Amino acid sequence: MPTLPMLHTYKAGPIEQVVMPGETVGIWVNKVYEFYKVTYIEGILRSDPVTIDLGATTVAAPQTAITQLTLLQMPSEEFAQLRMEVLDDVQVAVYQGRADQRHKLFTVATVLNRSQPLFDPCAHITEMYEYEDNYIFLQATNLTSYPVTQARVVFWGYRYVVDPLADQYSWRKQVLPPNWTRIPATAHL
Amino acid sequence: MGTYYIKEARGIRKVSPVVVVAAAATPEALFTISALPTVPRTLIVRKIMAYSNVGNCTIELATAVGFPAGIIPNLYVVNLFDAEWNEDEIPEIEVNETITIESDILGVQVQIEVEVIGS
Repeated sequence: MPTLPMLHTYKAGPIEQVVMPGETVGIWVNKVYEFYKVTYIEGILRSDPVTIDLGATTVAAPQTAITQLTLLQMPSEEFAQLRMEVLDDVQVAVYQGRADQRHKLFTVATVLNRSQPLFDPCAHITEMYEYEDNYIFLQATNLTSYPVTQARVVFWGYRYVVDPLADQYSWRKQVLPPNWTRIPATAHL
Repeated sequence: MGTYYIKEARGIRKVSPVVVVAAAATPEALFTISALPTVPRTLIVRKIMAYSNVGNCTIELATAVGFPAGIIPNLYVVNLFDAEWNEDEIPEIEVNETITIESDILGVQVQIEVEVIGS
């Protein structure tokens, strides 16, 4: 008996798309889910154009600036599903919205580093979603006792082209699609 | 899991040309790092092979700026023996510059294998 693919966000294992074309997603931005139909999906390849160097750090100046990842900006009515790997020995804080840190608890926010692949080789816990220009920001911190000349982070994932369904469904009015996948595209809760 | 990760590739493996040292006590390029990526790649030396038929010699792997005094301690190549050091015997030093070779006598042959980290 054929089985349906189990697609969902943050899925362990090599990255997979979270929906099929034609399915409905609710993208969490501006504190509501906005509904869209996915019309097209393609891969974002782990490559130089989607690699960023946050810059050099020293013991005296261990932190880079909080850097807006304009290279990951998506076109209008598109969103991206991204995983990331830190290539150099720095810890990297992840923000979505310059002041909204991701991966946070009540009193602290967790950060990515070079040891992440030791226990999460597929990087599924790093998965993030970016809708249009709802930018991701990164800041690297050097925790070593010596200068680190680069702080590289590389991305890969999927690109989704969507059509709005705002005339049919509304989170505020609680008129919801029968089946839809939640896309957490912001840290703004 | 840890052992699994240690053996897991971080990058792609590439090799330098076989360089025959042309001048004594003079560093020359061994593995030239590419200037094309927008975000620079880094290199980890994984294997070193050397052969001398011009006498015993000392070789030094270095970089121009970051590690001009050598990225690992100097290595001694015995005349008419093939010398090999593999990754279990080499410190995992990562550099973002061209790796150079220098010898106290000319004529020794050297080749390295590197793991290239980046995209």
